[in-house]
Amino acid sequence: MSDYKNKRFKTGSELVLYFLEGSKKFFVFSIIFSLLVTFLDLIGPKIIQYTVDFCIADAESDSVPVYLKTIMDLLGGREFLRDHLYLIALVVAIVGILAAVCRYMFRLMNAYGSETLIKRMRDKLFDHIMHLPYTWHGANHTGDIIQRCTSDVDTIRMFISEQMLSLFRIFIRIVIAMYFMIGISIPMTIVSAAFIPVIVLYSGFFHNRIRTEFERADTEEGRLSATAQENLTGVRVVRAFGREKYEKDRFVKQNAEYTQMWINLMRTLAAFWSSNDLISGLQVMLITVLGAVFCVQESITVGEYIAFVAYNSMLVWPVRALGRIISEMSKAGVSIDRIAYIMNSEIEKDKDGATEPSLNADITFDHVSYAYENGGGDVLKDVSFTIKAGSTFGILGGTGSGKSTLMYLMDRLYDLKKDCGRILVGDTDISDIKASHLRKNIGFVLQEPFLFSRTLSENIGITQNELDMKDVRRAARIAALDETISDFAKGYDTYVGERGVTLSGGQKQRTAIAQMLVSRPPVMVFDDSLSAVDTQTDARIRQALSENTSDSTVVLISHRIMTLMHADNIIVLDHGRIAEQGTHKQLLEKGGIYKKIYDIQMQGT
Amino acid sequence: MNENKNVKLPFFGIPRLIPYIKQYAPKIIFMIILGVLSSLIDSVFPIFNRYALDNFVGKKTLEGLTLFVILYVVVLVIQVIDNFICCYMCGQVELSVDRDLRNAAFSHLQTLSFAYFNQNNVGYIHARVMSDTGKIGVMVSWRMMDIVWQGAYIIFVLVMMLALNVKLALYVMILVPIAVVLVMYFQAKLVVLNRKIREINSTITSNFNEGITGARAIKTLVVEDKIQRDFEEDTTKMRSTSIHATHYSAFFTSAITMMSSIALSLVLWRGGIITLEGVTQIGTLSVFLSYALGLMEPVQNVIVTLSELIAVQVNVERLTRLLETESDVADRKEVIEKYGDTFNPRKENWEELIGDVEFKDVTFKYPDGDEYVLTHFNLKVPQGTNVAIVGETGAGKSTLVNLVCRFFKPTSGQILIDGRDAADRSQLWLHSNIGYVLQTPHLFSGTVRDNLKYGNPDATEEEIWEALRLVSADGIVKRMDKGLDSDVGEDGGMLSTGEKQLLSFARALLADPRILVLDEATASIDTVTEKAIQDAIEIVTKGRTSFVIAHRLSTIVDADIILVVNDGKIIERGTHKELMAMHGYYYDLFTKQFDEASTDAVFE
Repeated sequence: MSDYKNKRFKTGSELVLYFLEGSKKFFVFSIIFSLLVTFLDLIGPKIIQYTVDFCIADAESDSVPVYLKTIMDLLGGREFLRDHLYLIALVVAIVGILAAVCRYMFRLMNAYGSETLIKRMRDKLFDHIMHLPYTWHGANHTGDIIQRCTSDVDTIRMFISEQMLSLFRIFIRIVIAMYFMIGISIPMTIVSAAFIPVIVLYSGFFHNRIRTEFERADTEEGRLSATAQENLTGVRVVRAFGREKYEKDRFVKQNAEYTQMWINLMRTLAAFWSSNDLISGLQVMLITVLGAVFCVQESITVGEYIAFVAYNSMLVWPVRALGRIISEMSKAGVSIDRIAYIMNSEIEKDKDGATEPSLNADITFDHVSYAYENGGGDVLKDVSFTIKAGSTFGILGGTGSGKSTLMYLMDRLYDLKKDCGRILVGDTDISDIKASHLRKNIGFVLQEPFLFSRTLSENIGITQNELDMKDVRRAARIAALDETISDFAKGYDTYVGERGVTLSGGQKQRTAIAQMLVSRPPVMVFDDSLSAVDTQTDARIRQALSENTSDSTVVLISHRIMTLMHADNIIVLDHGRIAEQGTHKQLLEKGGIYKKIYDIQMQGT
Repeated sequence: MNENKNVKLPFFGIPRLIPYIKQYAPKIIFMIILGVLSSLIDSVFPIFNRYALDNFVGKKTLEGLTLFVILYVVVLVIQVIDNFICCYMCGQVELSVDRDLRNAAFSHLQTLSFAYFNQNNVGYIHARVMSDTGKIGVMVSWRMMDIVWQGAYIIFVLVMMLALNVKLALYVMILVPIAVVLVMYFQAKLVVLNRKIREINSTITSNFNEGITGARAIKTLVVEDKIQRDFEEDTTKMRSTSIHATHYSAFFTSAITMMSSIALSLVLWRGGIITLEGVTQIGTLSVFLSYALGLMEPVQNVIVTLSELIAVQVNVERLTRLLETESDVADRKEVIEKYGDTFNPRKENWEELIGDVEFKDVTFKYPDGDEYVLTHFNLKVPQGTNVAIVGETGAGKSTLVNLVCRFFKPTSGQILIDGRDAADRSQLWLHSNIGYVLQTPHLFSGTVRDNLKYGNPDATEEEIWEALRLVSADGIVKRMDKGLDSDVGEDGGMLSTGEKQLLSFARALLADPRILVLDEATASIDTVTEKAIQDAIEIVTKGRTSFVIAHRLSTIVDADIILVVNDGKIIERGTHKELMAMHGYYYDLFTKQFDEASTDAVFE
């Protein structure tokens, strides 16, 4: 985290430009090639026009520019070309091949740009999320964040690499085609162009209006999908209450409503498509007729007529797409905001000049109080105690007593607020210590450990840069895991499914213990971490641990006196306050809560 | 679940779908006719151009222009109407088939046994119902019409060209097979690459998921940089694979447009010569030019569509496999005759259920497992007995309950209900007499009332409140804005686990079952709620045959018989006292939990 900096993005475009670093050049190339494609596509009809007018049509006309005529005359003039028509065919073919090459390059450059862009977006988002404080993770929903990192990222990619680029290409296409068309006939161009705003507006307006319908259909689909999901996850309830018929009727009814909604939408869509067909069909017809009239009046040539019709038809689809693209582009703004929310969240920071002292020191909690952001009162109230270096320290407390919060504070997963006390390592306040240093030196084993979807050996050795199987095995042996792993078909290469679902609770806890033992941190915290392990294994692990961690500071957190009784010092935490403190013997003699719990737990057995 | 298996079915699997398409056959045939007509008109438009060129431009006259315009508009309007009807019908067919398949799949799932649900996870089944059906709907409508439209267009254009000028037509036609081979080659490559891209994409999504849900672990282990490095490895792979795929797809589309250009140049060259020789007129040349330009794209589209059809086979296969799966605990024919089936019960023939349950020499293994979890198991559970089943999470505590509920059938031996084999009466009869309170209480989205009445649709207002009072859940409902009409939110998201649990007790109580199954929650709940739940358990199990799967052992101390499960097998059985005296596994489990509970209790 040390070298990661928080950038603030005041505007959406600032963020987009930041993401575009590295991919801009590809997009520039992509635009250049797309210009070439458009240009080459559009000179095709021109060549045909010249060929028809110069070589094929009976009448000599002035539609061919003088310089071209000169060149052709030099070649041998009209007769020569008529005899060697393949030369023209060759030109057409070459233009076609050039266009194909440019089209290929355009698409390739666009892919480079868009893939580089999306990679950068994903990497930056992931990196940022990695460096956000733990409290941020608590305050935001996983599903929502993933949604932003996947579909919103895609929306932005589409916006830049598809929509913006298409908009640009279509615009250029219209301009160049118009330029050629004006050269042929201004009145015909006006007629052709008059349709463009009509089609664009019509389709833009339609797509805007239909969007709410689509959203409604989407919601309805979500509901139907949820009904199916509920039925499947609640299959036991459905069966046990014998409500299959009710479930079926409910689904069929919802399904019918949903389908009807789509059928209505489909009718609107079909009407839109065909009315659009009608408008463009009429435009093409008008151009055909007008062209014929002008041709007969000899204000344009046959070649020009053919070329104009070709240009006109080349505009039909891009113009139609224009309305849709413009209407879709409005969605991107929302996505950019949603991504900016993540990128603008404040990351964890160390103080300037944060140090890296040795953790082989006393750890002191000095009048520590803590309350969660979302209210609920103080979890810890004015707690003070010292964990001596190299000692074993026990914390006894009930559910919600604040014992885990203590450890999160020590690891700086939560930061202490001003005037809420301080935590010292030796003489250094932990807020002056680098968080990464602190965490590397404090090992945690949680009651419900998180395992990564990797192999067992990778999980155990996750803190190591180089995986040393000797270390992994040694750690696994201490955690009484080596035998269990050997029983697996793939041994240490067994893949732990997402969230480690293939392992039992006890196996997961033991894996987490092994994971900590690999890095051998000077401070080890066991937070109810053997709760799912059976008594015999529990004893074995304890024995092995005490042999191997004699020089470490060990913190044991538990409900059970059995777990803590051998600790050098024990605190009893009652609703965020220290109720008692001392050795097992002292606490028994004192005859307070500890004694009471001891009596119940011993008597029970 | 291997999503990427290549499946080859005869005729793309369409025969298997016939029962679902049959009723739309007239519509589909009509659609095809309209589609062919539309393509015919499409191929006719260049002829208008030709006519204009040859008759107006060529002869320098505007005679017949009005008629020309009228005819043009008429044809255009016909096509527009044709397209409207065709698209609308196509949409109808798509959505109707989609709907019917979804209904069929959903209804069928209601009859399948738990063996199916154990072997297939919810996500997988859900995708069959919601997504495969949609893909098949599109296939039998739009994809099929794509082939009709483009295929007919290609044929018409070829026919027109042949009719206009055979020699010229042959020049263009030479290019078609080349284009076909080209497209097929690239399409095959792209299918493989796109599959790979989808795979990497889902890896990236689960990376995000892991990075976010594992935030605490990542931070405490200080492995941010390592995880980031691995993440970037995946995004790099994504980038290079996508670009690799683009090489092919870009080459592919460029090649097709290049073919069009070559066709154009061929026509210009050979056609030009013919025109110069006076064999044809300029109009014909222009028709050929537009045909040549417009032929390659439909060829490409047909092949791409075909490859999509091939891809949908996987969905067809998976969906029909679901529809063809038979429940392995299906009621026998004579049982159905007497007691009715899942959707049409014959309640008049149902006997009253008393609640004596007996396992008689039951041997059982799960259909997807290979180890016997019960061998020659015998247990008598007379009416009113409380049976508790304990053991660690994942130890296999649900097995007995699964058998009593007939969610599975014994591999051998019998489950007797009131002295008769459970299989002698219908599942619905049994289920109508069972109450079930789930480990993670499952509430359906809807109102509180809907949920409470789930097991007893006829419950009156008084009965509902009575049930709520009995389990001390009345306070929860009264606290909610709209009382019984409050929405519980999807999967009861508005309520705490403890509250949900209490409501599901009330639900079970309302159903007034003879046999009660209770799968207790593991989640830690506050002590007040826990006390309420313990009281509720006592109330609902009173006088009923009950099976309690317990995590909190304190709740089952008074059970008539306790079965201790480990590694799927029953290792100890007896009363609490007997088991404690044994100093075995139960003793161990109980002690540990007792210590925890006592600590919490002292601090209260």
